[in-house]
Amino acid sequence: MGIFDFITGRKKPTPGELAKERLKVALVQDRMKVNPELLELIKSDLLTAISRRLDVDEQHVEIRLAREDHWDKLKAEVPIKRQKISFEWDPPAHTTAVTGLRGKVTVEVEKDDESEP
Amino acid sequence: MESRVITITSGKGGVGKTTTTANIGTALALQGKRVAVVDSDIGLRNLDAILGLENRIVYDLVDVVEGQCRLRQALIKDKRLPDLYLLPAAQTRDKNAVNSVQMEQLCQQLRAEFDFVLIDSPAGIEQGFRNAIVGADEIIIVANPEMASVRDADRIIGLVEAAGKPEPRLILNRLRAEMARRGDMMDVADVLEVLGVDLLGIVPEDEMIIVATNKGEPIVFEKRSRAGRAFLHAAQRIMGEEVPLDEVTEVPSLLERLRRLVGFGPALAEKRVRS
Repeated sequence: MGIFDFITGRKKPTPGELAKERLKVALVQDRMKVNPELLELIKSDLLTAISRRLDVDEQHVEIRLAREDHWDKLKAEVPIKRQKISFEWDPPAHTTAVTGLRGKVTVEVEKDDESEP
Repeated sequence: MESRVITITSGKGGVGKTTTTANIGTALALQGKRVAVVDSDIGLRNLDAILGLENRIVYDLVDVVEGQCRLRQALIKDKRLPDLYLLPAAQTRDKNAVNSVQMEQLCQQLRAEFDFVLIDSPAGIEQGFRNAIVGADEIIIVANPEMASVRDADRIIGLVEAAGKPEPRLILNRLRAEMARRGDMMDVADVLEVLGVDLLGIVPEDEMIIVATNKGEPIVFEKRSRAGRAFLHAAQRIMGEEVPLDEVTEVPSLLERLRRLVGFGPALAEKRVRS
């Protein structure tokens, strides 16, 4: 928190802010009895579900607990690989009001070179 | 007036439960209330020493509960205030010497004699803590603005609510306003945001507390002490008076500022801690 941070545009959290953030995460874990092992399980469940539709970068998936606006939250960051993304969309019956989008939807995204064998 | 039983607890040890009990009890007695302060930390008694009554103990809480003496015989009258009494803890017994039913009965007995019964809880969340809160109408949580203390306070709040007690109120003790302002430690707002309870008082870090403890005199008698005034205000809030929460923003007196300028007193001590 000094003039150099101002120049570089970088804002490091103060020790007080750091304590508060660490405390919040610890409290969410304490209150919900969530441990890192359970978080890993949830993460793998999420990945299984999302991977069916999207090709995600499993190495960089981040999942954590946080407390914001008086809510305990599960926050997940799931980076998507820059690859061909394709998915079939078969809308459930109750979405019939939305017309025009039905059947197979394919989105072509620029391919990553390394992804090809 | 309806009698009120208030338990002071914290989870973590060393955050100022006993000091808070002694000072709020004394402050209430100063306002003309009949007050009993009860040390429920069986085996590790300390409230007697903070009040300077350690060499007057004949009977203790366990003696009363076991019927070895009458309640009146165990109550020690304070040497300064006529309406303040101490019920000391036993020193040579352990926490399991008393059970919850006995504690509840003891609270009922004390209600008949006093306007306020303040119970100093032991640290921890075991039987001693459960005994301390079982007979209470209200709970005061003491916490310091640091991670371990606030985390334990959160745990205690959960246990208090699970026990069917009303939402506890918080005394934030040992606040270093200058460090909080610099962002070097958590501020009042940070702690309140995390814990989500009402604030009963903010007590600034004050070296005079150590001096007062050494003398066996509660800090509320010391008019110049900011911590003493903070405890007095907390007691007034307990009695339902509206006292603005200005403990932190309070401007230091001219003398205090001069002392800091010359390099004596609290300011110097803080510098030493930092280096």
